[in-house]
Amino acid sequence: MTNIWIVAVGAAGIENLVTTAQQIGGDLTAAVVGERAIADAVAASGVDKVVWFGDPGSAPLEAFSGPVGDAVAAARPDVVLVPARNADRAIAGAVAAKLAAPLYTMITDVATAAGVTTVTHSTFGGIAEETVKVTGPVVLVAEGGAVISGGSAPIETVDAAADTTLTVVESRPAEHAAVDLSKAKRIVSIGRGLKSKDDLALVEALASALGAEISCSRPLAEGVDWFSHDRYVGVTGQHVAPDLYLAIGISGQLQHVVGARGAGTIVVVNSDKDAPYFSECDYGIVGDLYTIVPAITEALK
Amino acid sequence: MDFSLTDEQQLLLDSLDELIARECTPDYVAKLDKEHRQPTEFRQAMHEAGFLGLGFPEEYGGTPVDATTLFLIAERVAKAGLNIGYGTELLSVLDILEFGSEEQKHQVLDELASGGCPFALAFTEPSAGSDSAAMKMTAVHQDGKVVFNGTKTLVTNAVGAKYLLTMAKNPDAEDPKRAFSMYLIPTDTPGISLSPIEKMLWRSATSSEIFYDDVTVDESCLVGKKGHGFVQLMKNFELERIMTATQSLGLAEAAFEDAATYAAQRHQFGQPIGNFQLIQEKLTDMSIKIENMKNIVYHSAWMVDNGKLDRIQASMCKRYCSMAAFEVADEAMQIYGGIGVTEGARVARLWRDIRGHRFGGGTDEIMVRIIGRQIVKDRS
Amino acid sequence: MKIVVAYKWAANPQDASVAPNGAVDWSRAKYAVSEYDPVAIELARQLADATGAELIGVSVGEKQVASPMAKKAALSRGLDKLVLVADDALAGAGPVKFGLVLAEVIKGIGDVDLVLAGDSSIDVGQQTVPAVIAGALGWPTVSQVTKVSGTAGDLTVERNFQGGSQVLKATGPVVLSAAADAVTPRVPGMKDILAAGKKPAEEVPYSAPQLGSAVEVTGQSKLTLKARKGHLIDAADPAAAATTLVGALKATINL
Repeated sequence: MTNIWIVAVGAAGIENLVTTAQQIGGDLTAAVVGERAIADAVAASGVDKVVWFGDPGSAPLEAFSGPVGDAVAAARPDVVLVPARNADRAIAGAVAAKLAAPLYTMITDVATAAGVTTVTHSTFGGIAEETVKVTGPVVLVAEGGAVISGGSAPIETVDAAADTTLTVVESRPAEHAAVDLSKAKRIVSIGRGLKSKDDLALVEALASALGAEISCSRPLAEGVDWFSHDRYVGVTGQHVAPDLYLAIGISGQLQHVVGARGAGTIVVVNSDKDAPYFSECDYGIVGDLYTIVPAITEALK
Repeated sequence: MDFSLTDEQQLLLDSLDELIARECTPDYVAKLDKEHRQPTEFRQAMHEAGFLGLGFPEEYGGTPVDATTLFLIAERVAKAGLNIGYGTELLSVLDILEFGSEEQKHQVLDELASGGCPFALAFTEPSAGSDSAAMKMTAVHQDGKVVFNGTKTLVTNAVGAKYLLTMAKNPDAEDPKRAFSMYLIPTDTPGISLSPIEKMLWRSATSSEIFYDDVTVDESCLVGKKGHGFVQLMKNFELERIMTATQSLGLAEAAFEDAATYAAQRHQFGQPIGNFQLIQEKLTDMSIKIENMKNIVYHSAWMVDNGKLDRIQASMCKRYCSMAAFEVADEAMQIYGGIGVTEGARVARLWRDIRGHRFGGGTDEIMVRIIGRQIVKDRS
Repeated sequence: MKIVVAYKWAANPQDASVAPNGAVDWSRAKYAVSEYDPVAIELARQLADATGAELIGVSVGEKQVASPMAKKAALSRGLDKLVLVADDALAGAGPVKFGLVLAEVIKGIGDVDLVLAGDSSIDVGQQTVPAVIAGALGWPTVSQVTKVSGTAGDLTVERNFQGGSQVLKATGPVVLSAAADAVTPRVPGMKDILAAGKKPAEEVPYSAPQLGSAVEVTGQSKLTLKARKGHLIDAADPAAAATTLVGALKATINL
């Protein structure tokens, strides 16, 4: 029986990982770090068993990487699935180190047979693809997905000795609610083609007309600060798979494009007819976004 | 022959590229041209990153480097489309280093080391351009003071400069060859007034007409020896000529890149114009000229670093690069056609700036006078 | 206090080319200190200057990691010295192997109080190595760090957290990865570059880590991307282009 583990740290959204685990087939255990409510939510997600590392109190969740790493390694898993979130990645590192197992992201296919897991994944930020056969444990990092329910698994509580050298001194909450772009069905994404923050209004008008979320390329969330970090799409940012991804003023650098490759339909608007994104779009308009975007908003009325 | 860069030069250029990408964007340079002002912000960033301290002695706050490195930096800045963005003030400073008093050295180099603009060269006059001996400005020495009267014109970057390195004539000099002296005069001395000159090229540098009206300064403002003005000035002309050539080279590279990219992307008659032979011929010859310019600039740089430079080489370098760069820019304009003179294209600005180097810093024709005469003289 | 920055000598995949059989050719790509690593070096340098700490750069990879150019490029960013593993046996190594080897080097240096790393590598971008180093050393790890101050055994760390930020205290050694925009790194000047040639760089022999799994590469290919229509709409008349687009979207995705 293939022994599959999921790690969930501070959040219970693991739909994609549960689907992947079911695709692989086998026993599914979830290691959960966070409040009891998270353990309960994960227990209802379709896993067979939950191992919960206790109430963290005020401790930062990264402090649990030691005990989680030890517990998962001791269980001798075949596959460990981890959500692509900061705290989960911190703990995934400990798991991978203790198992001395390879870790892959941007996975397109995975199957396990007779203790050998075959993984197909993109390499080097998405320029090529590789298939590997792993004999022994493997760690896979992917978008966690939504919180799902319908199952009911037992919860085993582990008395975890979290690392006390790391403590939280002060928390400054976000000024706005976090947005989960992985759930968005339509996204309007804006890049460096936009000359000034004041011009965002015309992008917002389009997004509103489409009923779409707004995302951006990395430079607009770092350095210029027009968007918060949770709004940029890219290899190290959000990975989205909406039905419609409308990329405006984004040239199509690899690091951005890989974040939206899951989109059903990609529309590109750019004034540079040699922008790389035009070779990976369904519909492309070569033109000035300052005239095209309002025109599209108008055509939607 | 090893034409490769040292690791240090390559790393320095990598750093410079990083700095230019941050602080000297095409939009920034276009703005300077539009507003007819100096790249103060870029200069400050270059200073903070240590680039303005290159090429003069450590005891004055500098980092000695070879001339080749300085020209590489100047070429790279010009290639970003910025004319006279680097290098020219350094060369003038070398005059002071060689001939100035200790106090003058500190005045000027402290200013440079803190990122300021030490001085502007005030030589040209309304009736004295190529004919520098026709200068009329007088410097009368009396009771430990010097009194200046006259007008200088087309002085580059006097605005914001702490001193004006001024060439002036002793009206009582018996020997006309020993009439001129060099003086370091504070720009804010009473009697000096600057009047801006609007130009249609080199707009990222200011030009001024400067009136000296009974400007009285302590005699210690004399640089070097009285009567040795021209002898001292000529000493670093060679370096200045190569530096000017480097500007032409860098700007020409920018014009070429723009034109070549345009030719590959502009479609007419159903295909890129780069498919047409006449365009290809232009691009080919532009490319060869750039290669030639690089060779003469860096061969000259090698000669400087190996103590072998003579003024013929420097003059040839200046004449060739000024003229070849203009040909490159002119063909770039032609390749662009009408689109090249619209606001979004910089080729027209490059064309204007490159054109200036055919007379700025020594005209094409004066170079012939220097080189041609020597060629014949050597064989007489 | 001893601070280590783990950096990578890498090239941008945009400059690499992929053969039809999937082999990636890096020969025309330019290698450099990986794009976000100078941010980590800058944060570390500022902390080292404030505390008088020694700042050591650590990197592992193929032979070119120890080339004179690579060493000078790293040292000129503000490191005091380097400790490197440069062995072609590391060709094709993944982030876990890199992390395990880096952890061994850090253990070998001894008495390290803090390890800093960049947000992600320019060529792979998996954001994994710092966490693997931490796991192998048995230390906690924090990512998205924007500020670090204090001394060994009493570090104050600020990090981006869920759209806002958090301040943490670390009373023991920790691995931090810097947010990509934590600080604007200084550009190396000539003095830094010249000084780099004189700073020490030590090479440590490669010792293969014990791995828990055997990995066999069975296939490599160019990316099999979802086929896209590639339909370019003429934008001479923006209103007409917009109408065409909206019409197509209504028909295909039920807009």
